[in-house]
Amino acid sequence: MDDKKRSCRILLVDDEPAITVNLAPFLERAGFAVVIADDGETALCRVDECKPDLIVLDVLMPRLDGRAVLRRIRQADNWTPVILLTQIGSPTERALALEEGADDYLNKPFEPYELVARIRAVLRRSRAGAPSLAGARRLRSGLLELDRQARRATIAGQEIMLTAKAVSVLEYMLLHPDEVLSRERLLDAVWGWDYPAATRAVDTRIAELRRALKDDAETPKFIETIIGQGYRFIARVEVVA
Amino acid sequence: MKKYGLVLVPIALGLTLALVWQSGLTTNPILYLRADAGSLLLLLGIGASIVSVLGVALWILARYRDRKLLLVYQREQADAHRRFLRRLDHEIKNPLTAIRAGLANLNGRSNDPVLSSIRGQVGRLARLSADLRKLADLETQSVEQEPIDLGQLLNELVALEQERPEAAACHLALTLFQTPWPLPSIAGDRDLLFIALHNLVDNAIKFSHSDSTIEIRAFEDGRSVAVEVADMGIGIGEDELPHLGEELYRGSTARSVEGSGLGLALVRAIVARHNGTMTIRSRAGQGTVVTLRFPVTH
Repeated sequence: MDDKKRSCRILLVDDEPAITVNLAPFLERAGFAVVIADDGETALCRVDECKPDLIVLDVLMPRLDGRAVLRRIRQADNWTPVILLTQIGSPTERALALEEGADDYLNKPFEPYELVARIRAVLRRSRAGAPSLAGARRLRSGLLELDRQARRATIAGQEIMLTAKAVSVLEYMLLHPDEVLSRERLLDAVWGWDYPAATRAVDTRIAELRRALKDDAETPKFIETIIGQGYRFIARVEVVA
Repeated sequence: MKKYGLVLVPIALGLTLALVWQSGLTTNPILYLRADAGSLLLLLGIGASIVSVLGVALWILARYRDRKLLLVYQREQADAHRRFLRRLDHEIKNPLTAIRAGLANLNGRSNDPVLSSIRGQVGRLARLSADLRKLADLETQSVEQEPIDLGQLLNELVALEQERPEAAACHLALTLFQTPWPLPSIAGDRDLLFIALHNLVDNAIKFSHSDSTIEIRAFEDGRSVAVEVADMGIGIGEDELPHLGEELYRGSTARSVEGSGLGLALVRAIVARHNGTMTIRSRAGQGTVVTLRFPVTH
C-alpha cells in the first residue's frame, strides 16, 4: 500500500490528557501520523485544517461531546471514517453510534492493539474507494440486501425470515466485511455483553443466518468460519443507492 | 384477621345479658339488677367496639403506608446504588485506558515479569469494570420475551458443562420431572437464562470436592417452574447467606476459590428480570441448594 509514501493521518480527540499522551506515541509507532485535539471545538477546526484520514473520537467530553462533533462533521457532508470511543456502552448507545454514521466504536478501556486493528480495518475499507457503509440505509452483497431501517433482509427481492438478533448480527457483519469477527466482539456489539458462557448464542444465530442465506459452512459464499477465531463476511458489500 | 374479632366480644356479652332481661325469663331482682347493668354494658360494649374497630383500621392503614414508604425508599436506594456503580465505572475507565496505552508503549520490554504482572492486574480491573457495567445494563435493558423450553435448555447446558475439564471430577445429574406432562415453557431471554443457569452450575462445580454429585432438577407446580442446582460442596454458613448475591460479596469459604464476586449478583439480576425468585439453602460442610422459580406462561 501507500503506507510508505505518506503515513495515514489520524485525528485523536479526547479530553483526558493521560489518554492522548499515552495513545499518540503508540499510534505513531504503529505507523500513523497523529494530530491531537482535546475538545470538540478544536476537533472540528483540526478536521478542516489537516484533513485527517481517520478520526478517533471520544464520546464523553465537556461542552461539545463526540456525538455532536460526529453529527456536525457528517452534516458538512464530510465522510472521513470515524471510530467512536464509547464510555457508557449501553446497547442503545451502541446502536446510536452506528446510526449516526460512526464507522466503528470501541468501549473504554480497550486494548490499544485492538484500536490499531480497527483503524486498519476501517482504513482498508475507505481506501478501497468505497463509500462509507456506516451511513447507508441499505446494504447489498450479491443477491442479499439488508434494509437497516426496516430491519428486513431480502434475497433476490424475496424477504427472508430472521429473528431480530440474527438481523443485527447480519448488519454488523455487513458493516465489517472481510474482518475476522470474534464471538466476543459480536456478543458485545449485538447482545451488549460478552460472558464467555454465551459464545454459543453467536453460533446459534450464525447457523440461523446460514440456513436463511442457504450458505454452506464448508464452501461459504457469505459467512466463513475461522477456526479458533470467529467468523468473517467474505462477500463484497456495497451501498444501495 | 381472626384475632381482630375479639373486639366484638363486649357487644356479644352485652346483647346476651340484655336479651335475658327483656325476655322476662327471670324475675330475680339480683339478676334484674345485673341485666340492667347489662344494658349499660351493651352501650359500653358498642362504644368500645367502635373505638377498637377504628383503631385497628387506622393501624392497618398506617402499616400499609409504612410498607409503601419502605418500598419507595428501597427503590430509591437501589437507584442510588446503580448511579454510584455507573459513576464509579466512568471514573475507572479513563485511567485504565491510559494505563493500557502506556503499557503498550513499554512493549519493547515485553518479557519483563513486572510489566506482565501489571498488565495482568490491569486486565483484571478492566474485566471488573466491564462486569459491573453489564450488571447495571441488565437492570435497564429490554429483555426478550420468547417462549423457552427449560428442559431443552438444561439438556444443552449439561452437555456443555460435561465437556469442560473442571467438570470431569464431578458427577452431573439432570432430572426433569415431566410425567405426566412436560415442563411448561416460561417467557424470557434464552441467552440470559442460559448464562444464569451456567453460573449456578459453574459455582456448584467450583465449590465441590472431586467425585461428588451435582444434581440439577426441574419441576413445576402449575403456577411456576423451579430449577434447582444442588451440590455437596463446601457450603456456606447461615450468617453469610443473606449477603450472597450482593455485588462483590465473597463468602469466607469462597475466598480461596477464584472468582469475581459478581456471578450470583448476575444470576439474581437475570432472575429478577424474568419475574422469578432465587432462594439459597446451604449448610457449611454439607452443600448448597439454589432454587430458581419462574412464573409459567399460559
